[in-house]
Amino acid sequence: MKLWGVRLPPLARTTTFRLTTFYVVLTFLYTLALIGFIYSTTIGYARVENRKRIDSEIDSILLAYEDGGLSRVSQSLLERAAAPQRYFLYQLQTPSGIKLSGDLSAMPPGDYPGEVEFEIDVRRPGGSEFTIDVAGRVVNLGTEAQLLVGYDISNQGIMTNRITNAIYIAGGAGLLIAIMGGIWISRSVARRAQHLADTAEKVMGGDLTARARTRRTDDEFDRLAERLNAMLDRLQALVRSSRHTGDAIAHDLRSPLSRMRNRLENALSSPDPDLSVSDVIEQTIREVDGVLATFNAILRLSRLDAQSEMRMERTDLGEVVEELSDLFEPAAEYEGLEFRSESTRATQVLGDREMIAQALANLIDNAIKYTPEGGAISVSARRGDDNMVELMVKDTGFGIPETERERAKQRFVRMDSARTLPGSGLGLALVDAVAMVHRGEFQLLDGDGPPDRPGLKAVLRLPRA
Amino acid sequence: MNVLVIEDDRESAEFIGKVLSEAGHQVDIAFDGERGLELARAGSFDALVVDRMLPEKDGLTLVQEFRDAGGASPALFLTALSEVEHRVEGLRAGADDYLSKPFAPAELVARVEALGRRTPNESPVTHLRAGELEMDLLARKVSRAGQRIDLQPREFRLLEYLMRHAGQVVTRRMLLEKVWDYHFDPQTNVIDVHVSRLRGKIDKDFDEPLLHTVRGAGYRLQA
Repeated sequence: MKLWGVRLPPLARTTTFRLTTFYVVLTFLYTLALIGFIYSTTIGYARVENRKRIDSEIDSILLAYEDGGLSRVSQSLLERAAAPQRYFLYQLQTPSGIKLSGDLSAMPPGDYPGEVEFEIDVRRPGGSEFTIDVAGRVVNLGTEAQLLVGYDISNQGIMTNRITNAIYIAGGAGLLIAIMGGIWISRSVARRAQHLADTAEKVMGGDLTARARTRRTDDEFDRLAERLNAMLDRLQALVRSSRHTGDAIAHDLRSPLSRMRNRLENALSSPDPDLSVSDVIEQTIREVDGVLATFNAILRLSRLDAQSEMRMERTDLGEVVEELSDLFEPAAEYEGLEFRSESTRATQVLGDREMIAQALANLIDNAIKYTPEGGAISVSARRGDDNMVELMVKDTGFGIPETERERAKQRFVRMDSARTLPGSGLGLALVDAVAMVHRGEFQLLDGDGPPDRPGLKAVLRLPRA
Repeated sequence: MNVLVIEDDRESAEFIGKVLSEAGHQVDIAFDGERGLELARAGSFDALVVDRMLPEKDGLTLVQEFRDAGGASPALFLTALSEVEHRVEGLRAGADDYLSKPFAPAELVARVEALGRRTPNESPVTHLRAGELEMDLLARKVSRAGQRIDLQPREFRLLEYLMRHAGQVVTRRMLLEKVWDYHFDPQTNVIDVHVSRLRGKIDKDFDEPLLHTVRGAGYRLQA
C-alpha cells in the first residue's frame, strides 16, 4: 500500500501497536507484583513461621544449657527424641566436629553458627526410606558444643513448588494473551484505519462515489467513516453542481449570444424593411441586459458557495417579510392576486440580510409569475419547531410535481411551464444556496389547494439567533 | 454641471464623457489616479465619477485623500465589482454613490445629476415644493394646489425622493436602492406598480401630469 510513493508506516509504528506494547509491559509488571504478593503471603509467611518455631525450640534448649550445662542438654535431647510426636531434628557436636548426640551422622557442611537447609534420608519405623527437606539453625553452646535444631519442611516445599508453578503459568498465560490480544486489536484497528485511507485514496484517484464502510457499532471509527462519507456526499454534490453549472453557463449564455449575433448579422446583410436599426439595437441591448443579469446571479451564487463576504448579523425575518411585502404587494395586486403577509415575534436569525431578502424576493417573484389571475399569495415569517425560523411563501398556482422538486432547486433548471417567462433558472438555486450557508433548509411542498391544482408552498427554515 | 471623470480605460472614459456631454454637462477626464486627484483639488467640480481600479492611485485611496484634504465634491464610484462589501467599502471611503459596470447611460446620467443636487452643508429642509405639489416633511403632509393628498408611509418616502430630485431622471434601480434599500433586481415590475399608484394619487384629479415616465430610463417629477 503506497501513498504518493511513500510506504505507509508498518504495524510497529502505529499508535495502536505502541499502546499495545505499553499495555503488555503493564501486564508484565502487574504479574510480577502479583507473584511477589502471593509469594510473601504464602511461602514467605511459612518461612517466618518455621523460623519462629525453631527459635523457640532453641530458646528452650538454651535454657536447659544455662540450667545444667551439656549433660542437661543431652538429657533433654534424649527426652525429646523419645516423645511420641516429633517435629524437630537435633544434632549436638563439639566445635571440632565430634558428634555428642543427635539424629544425624554429621552436621551438614556449612559456616556456623547460622541458618542451614539440607536434605536427609530417613527410615520410618515401618522400614521404608525417603528423603525429607529440613530447614534449621545452628547455635553455639558456650565454646563446648554446637547445637543444630532442624524442622521438616517437605510438605511446605511441595506447596511452595505448586504455588510458584501456578503463578508462573498464570503469569505466562496472561502475558501471552495480552500480547496476542494486543496484536489482534492493533491489526484490526490498523485495518479499519487502512480502509479509511484506501477510501480517501480512491476518491483522490477520481472515484467520487467511493464510500467508507461502517460496522453500525457507532464507535469512533464508524463516526469517522460517517463524517468522511458525509463530506464526500457534499463534495460530490458540489462537483456535480459545478459541472452542471459549467455546462449550463455555456448553454445559457451561448444561446442568447448566438441569437444576438444572428440578429446583428442579419440586420447588416439583409435588413428587414419592417425593422429599423434602432429596433434591432434595442432588442440586442435588452438581450445583453438579460445575459448580464444571469452573470450577476451566477456571481451571487458563487459568492454563496464560497461563503465569502457574507455579512452575518442579527436579522429579524419578520421585518424582512414586512418590508418585502410592502415592496411586492402592489405588483401582486396589479397582477390580480390577493396578497397577505404576517409575521410573529421572535423571528431573529444570524444571517446576511441582503441575501435572505434576495432569496425571499425570488420566492415572491416566482409566486407572482406563476400564479394565475384571481389567485392568492401569502408570505409569512414565524417561529418554527427545533429553534428554527420559518419563512414561507404560499401560492395558489399549479405547484411543482413532487418528482420535479429536487430538480427545480438545481442551477439553470427551468420547469417546462416556465420556459416562456423571463428568468435565468437560478432563482430557486439561490434560495437553496442561502439555506445552505445559513445551515438551514429549503423545501418545496404542496400548497393548500385541491389535488389538481395544489399550489406551491416554499419554506425556507433558518436557525434562530 | 462640471463633472470630472477619472477612468483609465480610454474607451470607457470617452464613452462616459460623451454620455454626460450629451446630457448637457461640462466634462473633464483624467486617465490615472494621481492626475485625477490633482484636477479634483484644483477645480471645483459638481461631481466626480471615479473608477475603483486605477493606475498610480486606486479610486478608494483617491477619494479618501480628497475627502481628508477637505474636498467636498460628491463622488460616484464605478466598478466591475458589485458586491455589498465593495459598495459599503466605497461609501465608507467617502463616496456618495456607487454604480457597477456595465451600466445603462441613462442610469449614469441620472445618478450623476442626483449627486449634483446634493447640498450637504445646508440646514435641513422641512418643505419641498414642485409646482403645485407641496410636501411638509415635519407634519408628513402632502398637498397639490391646496388639496390634501393621503399617502401611505412608503408612498410618502417615494414621493419625497422624487421631489428632492425634481426635474431629474430617477431610475428604477435608484428608487429600489434609495427608497427600499435593496440592491438586487426584482424580476417583476414592482417599482413601476408603486410609481403608478403614486401617480394615481397625485395626478389623477389634475389636468397637468407631474410624474412622467422617461422611456428606457425611469421617471421624472416635473412641474
